[in-house]
Amino acid sequence: MLAPQHNYTNLSSAAGLGLIGLNENDIAVDYGCMLFDSFVYVSRLCRKIVGIIPSSGKLKTFQNRIVKEDVKNYDLVNANYNEQHFNEVFDCVIINSFLEQLIIEIKHGKTIFFDSKIRDKKKDNSSEKIRTQFLETVCNGLRPGGKLYLSYSNKLRIRTLLLFVKLSIESFFTAFSLKKALSFISLVKAVYLFSYYLLSQEGLEKLLKANGFIDIEKYAVFPNHVHPLKIIPLSKLDECSYEPVQHLYGEGSLRRISAGIKRRVDRIVFRKFKLFGLSPSFIITARKAL
Amino acid sequence: MVSLPRSLLQLEKPYDITIMLCELITNNTHNNNIALYKCYNANKVFYRKAAFSHWGNKVIENEKKGYEWFYNDSETLIETRLKKGYFYELDIPQFKGRKFQSESIISGNEETIEMLIDFYKDRWSAKDVFAIHGDLALCNFIIDKMNIKLVDWEHFHCSDKEFFGYDIINMLFILIYHESKRTFSLNKRNRDFLRKCYIQLIEGVGNSNKILEKPFQNSKDYLLKFKYRFLINTNINKKFVLSDSPLSVLEHFDSIVTK
Repeated sequence: MLAPQHNYTNLSSAAGLGLIGLNENDIAVDYGCMLFDSFVYVSRLCRKIVGIIPSSGKLKTFQNRIVKEDVKNYDLVNANYNEQHFNEVFDCVIINSFLEQLIIEIKHGKTIFFDSKIRDKKKDNSSEKIRTQFLETVCNGLRPGGKLYLSYSNKLRIRTLLLFVKLSIESFFTAFSLKKALSFISLVKAVYLFSYYLLSQEGLEKLLKANGFIDIEKYAVFPNHVHPLKIIPLSKLDECSYEPVQHLYGEGSLRRISAGIKRRVDRIVFRKFKLFGLSPSFIITARKAL
Repeated sequence: MVSLPRSLLQLEKPYDITIMLCELITNNTHNNNIALYKCYNANKVFYRKAAFSHWGNKVIENEKKGYEWFYNDSETLIETRLKKGYFYELDIPQFKGRKFQSESIISGNEETIEMLIDFYKDRWSAKDVFAIHGDLALCNFIIDKMNIKLVDWEHFHCSDKEFFGYDIINMLFILIYHESKRTFSLNKRNRDFLRKCYIQLIEGVGNSNKILEKPFQNSKDYLLKFKYRFLINTNINKKFVLSDSPLSVLEHFDSIVTK
């Protein structure tokens, strides 16, 4: 049952979710519950939302805020992403800051695709399959035709790559051996594959397709995915016109000057040269294949 | 491991649901709690306004009333669809025709402006109930030959007929603002044109009119006195240039048009 109309909380920072058309009978799952407004917005429009939060401290804070918003049609689950093995199916999956999750997997060595040793050991045709356990779990939890919504920051992607490289180098040198030295090529290959599949638009699309998703649409988001003001579908660039948008905080002359410079640079980068790969954030929507 | 009741989670759903491709055009402009999307559904393109709060619901419902008032005798209204869920959505068809920039100026648009004043006089006079659009500007018109469409009815409200002319004066002031690059200094050609517009507007208007004696000052007074009717959720001076303009500027333009 949807919550009664009792307050005037503005949830417009969840405008990105308007792209996937939520229905009142939908049951959604939010991995990480990174954006509070998104969670509340989905709870208002859907029949039920399940939130998965790995940190118990964050779960408690989150729960307190939800009570204040009078959200009742929700379940919060305190567990790691990979420990979730829902037997049931969801209509919609929401993942904000998706790449952080992959880093967790890499750190714990649970990602089949990035673990070259596992691939070598298998020695079968499946070694060439592109998979991550997390995306596989997500896909399994969706009903056929169910919707996937991913949002992430472009900066996060660069940070994620750096973190991955750091983790890889650390693990390489902590237990140094001749065997490891020989597997240096594997490390380089893993970094290359990571950057290809997660940092390139094309690679990420391949990764989603390999995990059973179809109808993949990619969007450039401005000025960020937390409070989007402009979202442009990358497949409709010819029909969309870009005008610089930004959140203005304060009215100091320095801020105005820097905002003015940013506007001009954005016009050149995105309107003239259409370099949307440099967008500050991205959203990806997809459906599970029937 | 977490398990939810199967009966709750497994619902019969059609599998042909597709995710519609959308562009977010604006979001929460002037804190209106509304997002505007351009939606591509198969070969059809339309616009969708979606609320993100109950304030947004009020504004969208009001906008629908505006469309009903303006298009009550046309097919456009049939194509305009209000969906009342927890948050409201209003689907608006894509109108074909010439569109104008939000920072349009007087120079080069004189013929269009005169045509729109005639259109306003005809259309508004023909209505049984008088109403104010509330944000009439060149950029809210879409003109296809003689077929004129008007969008963005968020600030629509019914009013007394004595306030006839408010919308046109508001539109002219926005044009002055952009023409003068915010200095309010116009050349003689523009000043003469403004006077011509004013004469065109007052022709046939009765003495009881409360706007046209001092059009710019009276329009600002109307805006400030009845601001609650405009459903503004922010500082009104940030939304309307007319409300933030000093008296001296308004007196100056009143004297230009009424001399």
